[in-house]
Amino acid sequence: MSFIKDVNKILRQNIREWGMYIALLVIMAFFTITTKGIFISSRNIGNLINQTGYIAVLAVGMTLVIIIGHIDLSVGYLSGFLGAVAAIAMVSWHLPVYASISLTMALGVLAGIFSAFLVAQMKIPAFVATLAGWLGYRGALQLATMSKGTIVITNAAFNAIGNGYIPDIPDIGILPGVHKLTLILGVLVILLFIINAINNRRKMSAYNFKVSPMYLFIIQLIFVSALVGGITWVFAGYKGLSWTAVVVLIVILVYNFIMSRTVLGRHIYAVGGNPEAAELSGISVKKITYVIFISMGMLAALSGILFASRFKSATTTAGTLFELDAIAAAFVGGASASGGVGKVTGSIIGALVMMSLTSGMNLMGIDISFQYIVRALVLVAAVVFDVATRNREK
Amino acid sequence: MEEATPIVEMRNIKKNFGGVQALRGVDLVLYHNEVLGLVGDNAAGKSTLMKILSGAYIPDEGEILIEGKKAHIVNPWDAHRQGIEMVYQDLALANNLDVAANVFMGREAVSVKLGPISVMDEHHMEQETQRLLDRLKIDISSVRLKVESLSGGQRQAVAIARATAFNNKVTIMDEPTAALSVTAIGKVLDLVRELKAQGCSIIIISHRLEDIYKVSDRMMVLRHGSKVCDTPVTGDIDGFREHVVAYIIGARNDFTEGASEQSNDTRK
Repeated sequence: MSFIKDVNKILRQNIREWGMYIALLVIMAFFTITTKGIFISSRNIGNLINQTGYIAVLAVGMTLVIIIGHIDLSVGYLSGFLGAVAAIAMVSWHLPVYASISLTMALGVLAGIFSAFLVAQMKIPAFVATLAGWLGYRGALQLATMSKGTIVITNAAFNAIGNGYIPDIPDIGILPGVHKLTLILGVLVILLFIINAINNRRKMSAYNFKVSPMYLFIIQLIFVSALVGGITWVFAGYKGLSWTAVVVLIVILVYNFIMSRTVLGRHIYAVGGNPEAAELSGISVKKITYVIFISMGMLAALSGILFASRFKSATTTAGTLFELDAIAAAFVGGASASGGVGKVTGSIIGALVMMSLTSGMNLMGIDISFQYIVRALVLVAAVVFDVATRNREK
Repeated sequence: MEEATPIVEMRNIKKNFGGVQALRGVDLVLYHNEVLGLVGDNAAGKSTLMKILSGAYIPDEGEILIEGKKAHIVNPWDAHRQGIEMVYQDLALANNLDVAANVFMGREAVSVKLGPISVMDEHHMEQETQRLLDRLKIDISSVRLKVESLSGGQRQAVAIARATAFNNKVTIMDEPTAALSVTAIGKVLDLVRELKAQGCSIIIISHRLEDIYKVSDRMMVLRHGSKVCDTPVTGDIDGFREHVVAYIIGARNDFTEGASEQSNDTRK
């Protein structure tokens, strides 16, 4: 049975990566059964993605911070505070949407520079430096929202980011009730993926690198195509692709590209793996630390915008515990507490796992106290799994 | 034979740490295609001397000449530019990256450059790494293996390969055989011989006299921050060891600069 042997080998080699996907599928299947299909409905999945959005972008940034061996506790309230700034800019200062968003992003960059200054320049442990940020931004958020408590955002364009969907092409009579542009985009993604995979495989063979057997390659293609196709179909069945999903997809594509294909990404992993070695090789650890915290600040701003837009308002409690959700998502997604290990795609899967748990347990009507305990168990299981597989590899 | 210009010459190097004199005016000469062993007890100043050559420390006094020209080395980057690479004892490798990524760390091959974003040319790096491993006869099954999955000897080999990969002139190895198994030590020593056969100039720091004896052409002993012996490696291992240990522990202290010149002359 060479087939089973091959599958077994590939599973074992990539168990850490596959583990997350399998866990996500198991969790989704479980909730689909226990909620009699409500969980997997287009409407719920659409909402789930929109809810995951503001945590997912934070989780991407947090994964990078964890890769270089730091942590950022300040991003939750930073996100809340920057969301409030965006709201005030539009409501009180009457700035246009693009100016408000630019201002918010710029402040995110500033906050990132501030954290990086403390960590890289002053050599303060990131835990302490960003704990100060946690306190400070919380205070700033309360100051910003003090006069009104809740700042209601009435700008339709801004609110569309968190609630709107991409427009559809005009109805031409086929597939009524299905979002056709979403379907077309989904098919495009599948085609691009297949072409890319075949190209890669051809290149690898040309360079005499070992490739997996042909039938496994085809199974892999079918599996991913079916997954993307399924997700597309679920999206298309409700209102199509949401703007939040578009934003998250762009963040994933950009960050995944930077981390896996560029010199900057390689240097980030090198700094995470061995800072002294990186420094001796001429990589500036300080510069990388600045880049990582600035990216984290920008993503916190983006998260704040997504959250404020979704709830069409800025509140005193916006951003509460986001940082811990993001950290949990990063660890569930395979980041390692000792640094150097973690993937952008992993952090997104981690965020989806944590949000699926919340959504599924809400649908089942499980008490919030038990929800926290279940999420705690999942986090512990993920980290134990990670450590166990890592030790076995050695 | 014509007197060749040494590839490295360090003259009267002095270095103090607070009140402690780590180096009290040490001279060092390394010729082209020579393997120089550097020995001495703990705190004799071996590592300090090599860290000065590789730019990690700045000497208080003294000068460094590379191929007869005065060199200004104040940081590791200057040393890189001069073609001096140090293989650190604690292995300057990133365990989370694969072999190719480690060999090219800090000098990644770029295929497309878009402003601050440079896209890596992975195939080029992997091919070059494979060529390098083949050339040095290093036995690692794939350049895509992560360093954390390699044995100690293989890691040392990757670290050495990395140091010698980019037209370097001098490779400094700090305790390359420490904490390795007997077979792994043999392989690392083979690698040193291979590098010499390919024309490299090497300085090895080691506590293990038999390793130095096996691969070095000449040997220098430091004691309390001064050079106490500089001699070609000759004779049988037992006599050699006895001779050198006497200098290391200070039982003999009859070394002068004149004697050093003499020993160099006899070598030629």
